Amino acid sequence: MLTILKSEWFKLRKSNIIGILLVGPLIGLGAGIGADIAEAAGMMNEWYMLLIYMNLPYAVLFLPLVTGVLASLVCRYEHQAGGWKQLLALPVTRGKVFAAKYVLILLLVLFIQLFYLAAIVGAGLYKGVADPFPAAIIWKSILGGWVAAFPLVAMQLWMSVWFKSFAAPFAVNVVFTLPSILAMNSEKVGPYYPWAQPFAMMYPATENGDIFFIPWEQLMTVIGGFFLLFYLGGYFYFQRKAV
Amino acid sequence: MEYIVKTENLSKHFGQEKAVSGLEMKIPKGEIYGFLGPNGAGKTTTIRMLLGLMKPTSGRIEIFQNDLKQERLNILRRVGSLVESPSYYPHLTAKENLEALRKIVGVPKQRIDEVLEIVRLTAAGDKKVKGFSLGMKQRLGIAASLLNNPELLILDEPTNGLDPSGIIEIRNLIKSLPSECGMTVLISSHLLSEIDQMATTVGIVTKGKMIFQDSIEAMRMFAQQSVLLKVSESDKAWRTLLGRGMKAGLDNGIISLPEQSDENVAETVRGLVADGFSVYRVEEERRSLEDIFLQMTREEQAG
Amino acid sequence: MMGKLLSAEFMKIKRKGIWFLTVLGPIGVVAMQMVNYGVRKDYLFGQNDDRWGYYLDNIHSFTPLAIVLGIVILTSFMSSIENETNAWKQLMALPVSKMSVYLSKFTVLSLLLLISSVLLLLFTLAFGISLDLGGEIPYDGLLKYSFYPFFAALPVLALQLWAAAVSVNQGVPITLGIVGVILTYAGYALPDWLIWKWPLLLNEWEEPIINVLLGAGTGLFLYAAGMIDFVRRDVK
Repeated sequence: MLTILKSEWFKLRKSNIIGILLVGPLIGLGAGIGADIAEAAGMMNEWYMLLIYMNLPYAVLFLPLVTGVLASLVCRYEHQAGGWKQLLALPVTRGKVFAAKYVLILLLVLFIQLFYLAAIVGAGLYKGVADPFPAAIIWKSILGGWVAAFPLVAMQLWMSVWFKSFAAPFAVNVVFTLPSILAMNSEKVGPYYPWAQPFAMMYPATENGDIFFIPWEQLMTVIGGFFLLFYLGGYFYFQRKAV
Repeated sequence: MEYIVKTENLSKHFGQEKAVSGLEMKIPKGEIYGFLGPNGAGKTTTIRMLLGLMKPTSGRIEIFQNDLKQERLNILRRVGSLVESPSYYPHLTAKENLEALRKIVGVPKQRIDEVLEIVRLTAAGDKKVKGFSLGMKQRLGIAASLLNNPELLILDEPTNGLDPSGIIEIRNLIKSLPSECGMTVLISSHLLSEIDQMATTVGIVTKGKMIFQDSIEAMRMFAQQSVLLKVSESDKAWRTLLGRGMKAGLDNGIISLPEQSDENVAETVRGLVADGFSVYRVEEERRSLEDIFLQMTREEQAG
Repeated sequence: MMGKLLSAEFMKIKRKGIWFLTVLGPIGVVAMQMVNYGVRKDYLFGQNDDRWGYYLDNIHSFTPLAIVLGIVILTSFMSSIENETNAWKQLMALPVSKMSVYLSKFTVLSLLLLISSVLLLLFTLAFGISLDLGGEIPYDGLLKYSFYPFFAALPVLALQLWAAAVSVNQGVPITLGIVGVILTYAGYALPDWLIWKWPLLLNEWEEPIINVLLGAGTGLFLYAAGMIDFVRRDVK
């Protein structure tokens, strides 16, 4: 498993991956620097205010959409000139190949989240935010956003294994991501819509005693449930895929 | 002589790498020109330049006596081509693939059935190309190249992926094109046997340079034979022959006589027997074209 | 030559889901408002006395995002059709100029987007009528909100086509597209010169026609730049 993962990373190194990883955090940084957080002074920790501004473009659109690009990238070489045949003719099981690709994308998303954390700190320093830095941002928002991406990554890996082009999985991704703009404003639908979860989990809420910013039940049922559904869907599709 | 293709000092550099340098290609009308060279010698790069897909770093290309740079479209109207691995649209059927090209080259619709018939794909015409075998895709590529009844047909490794019977079919097809359709054909290959069985003119390229260009007969001349003699006391016998002013070589106790007519061989043997040598074996050594090809490319590399 | 190329291009986009997406885009935009009005019709009716105008504004809150994302998807599709088996070399070895190949791709994309715009107009009108918004139907606004975004988005189309046509790795144009759509999404707070803001039809003079004219002009310029670059390159 680890060897497959290493070989997957090796294949990926030369595909502008660093640039793609940095794009989102840079957008966040821009949003943070441009944000007008003065109004929050005294009312709430300015770091939280900054986070709210930066999350809007980052968590609603960028994070869900970029999972699709990453998933397509890790399948790119296999879709070219019979790469699936070559890979699957090696002594590896399909299940492991699928899992390795999935784990690799998760790691990439984690990198993006960490870069984003750096962008938050960077924007805060630039603005001269004086409030103490709330450590909860790190493990709730950053890790929470990462966990919220689990089902989305599974879905996109499924689509990327299926379709050769980048455009088709991306189209599917767009179709599901755009409605989250509406869904996240709705108390009824928002908590159950997988593509709205990154925003929900990264959004700093008041202390609720839970590990993350969303209720534990929502995490387990919505994120956990859709993760299982999409992962198994992709897994079984890949098992039967003719290469 | 009327040349269909003529390049002057054609070069293409990719950064430091000289993929093609100073290439002078001349293809006479009605010939099947075999463009031969090892993988990575610059064959495909040359072909891409001939089709205007790549711009030469320097040099000039004339096709049908027109400058490619100025007359590209008029030239391409009369050229058919298959470059590298066949290109196709997997989600379309074989007929639809050809139709998408036909619309552009503007030949009558029935031409699609004709070219499918030529490459024996008629039965698969309505199937999506996605499911084709490599050989079928290759045939479809050849069919596409024939669509516009070209005067010059350029095929890059045309027998790639074909099975033996397919290779023979395509070979016979290519051989018939100059006489039946008045085409001039350029085929590239890294296999000499391939070229040997089809081409009438040969150009050999290695490391981006043309090292040989002439008729296939001229190339075969290189395959001159020599006669090998195994005799008793070979050292002494060899000296005797040299003493008579004959050209002879000695290698591992075998005497070799280059370029000998039947009479000369008979004369030599008779002389040796008369001088008391026992002649054990008289053999003809035939150097294969493969050997010559390897030797040529090796010499070029060494030099 | 353009006619032949166009009919070949339309042949090639069969069975790729491209037509489906062309129809899905405007359906999606209107469907969002179906949900929106379905859930809280009374609340929305209470927001503004000009119910038609308010409805059109709501529709328009998704149109720019849909059109920018639609452009990203369609351009990448158009390019991947040729990239998949490197059919560029086969196409370009035909008696066609590279310029006309590029123009034919651009034209097909523009036509698809125009069809989407027409459909958007029809769906918007149909759902608007079914909502019983009352008052005169504002055909003026309907036309503006359906077609202005297309023209204002032409620079994005030209840029994405350029990126998609020259990139072997389609991850690059798609990532560029994601950045673009985020700029559209956050466009309210961004300066007027950003081309991704233009489909929002906002500018400091509050004259949407400026975005249309700027879009057409800049689109033409970026189209020319992309085409010149495309022609200059060796075929892959």
